[in-house]
Amino acid sequence: MADTSRIERARQRARAAKVGIGALTALVFGVAFVGAKSHAPGHTKGKATPLGAPSSFERAVRHSVAQGGQIAPAVQPPPVATSTS
Amino acid sequence: MSIGAVERFRTMGCDVAVAGGDPAIVAAVLARWEETFSLFRPGSELSRVNRSPARVLVVSPLFVRGLEVALDMAAETSGLVDPTLCGRWREVVLSGSLLSRPPSLALDLNGVVKALAVDAAAAALDGPGFVSVGGDLAARGPVDVGLPAGGAIRVVTGGLATSGTASRGAHLVDPATRRPSESCWEQVTASGASCLDADIAAKTGFLLGERGPAWLDSRGIPGRFVGLDGEIVENDAWQNATRPAVACT
Repeated sequence: MADTSRIERARQRARAAKVGIGALTALVFGVAFVGAKSHAPGHTKGKATPLGAPSSFERAVRHSVAQGGQIAPAVQPPPVATSTS
Repeated sequence: MSIGAVERFRTMGCDVAVAGGDPAIVAAVLARWEETFSLFRPGSELSRVNRSPARVLVVSPLFVRGLEVALDMAAETSGLVDPTLCGRWREVVLSGSLLSRPPSLALDLNGVVKALAVDAAAAALDGPGFVSVGGDLAARGPVDVGLPAGGAIRVVTGGLATSGTASRGAHLVDPATRRPSESCWEQVTASGASCLDADIAAKTGFLLGERGPAWLDSRGIPGRFVGLDGEIVENDAWQNATRPAVACT
């Protein structure tokens, strides 16, 4: 009787292990499937965009290209002068 | 804050003044730029590029840097400052270190190279000081600077440059006419966050003629214009920056 009980418990553990392994396999497969679907180059998620910088970024860069410096009234004889060259 | 003694020498065909750094280091930085971009040295990289019959060339990182800035400036000024001097700057394409352009299209980067070299030399200073090459200046710390047609200004930080026809004649090409510019100004001085910014602002202000002061004001750039008759016009940004503060009583 005791041996039967031990065999039965062992079978239950084996069934639980099979169910667990099966569930884990299904879970891993599902995650991998969704990941592949999302990231594979053959499956675009949205409209393709140009590889260049966005136009708003280019505009911002151009507006900041020429910026004023900081000047003030002179306070002593200048050691250097600006002129065309 | 003292900028120390001013050292003077000549290079790139210009008078150079340096304070706050080793003149030998500054001279080496300027020499490197000249060796790359001089149109008067047959062995310079720019001369070799202009002579090459190839449509696509591999160029050095320094050349890429200079040309990138020149093309950016051409776009920023709608072609007023044009590295091809003939309105064809859009045909010049850089992709990494690859330069593509029609083989017969010569480049002239003088419009930006001197100012870039001045900024690079100023970056090599040990501390507060300035570098001035042929009147284009980059400052790291306050420095008083004499102005064309008299007067002086203190550059607190950034750069100061003057463009015009006073010393070299009509060397600026108006891309609208593709002829030497006939501006109503003799010299235009502009302040910029760097010497490059100041130089581009001065050139553009000069080439735009009567619209120059307003163009600089719309960008918050101080500009001072000397007319062909000697009249001096300061735009609003310049006046606001240089008007002495009135003490409260």
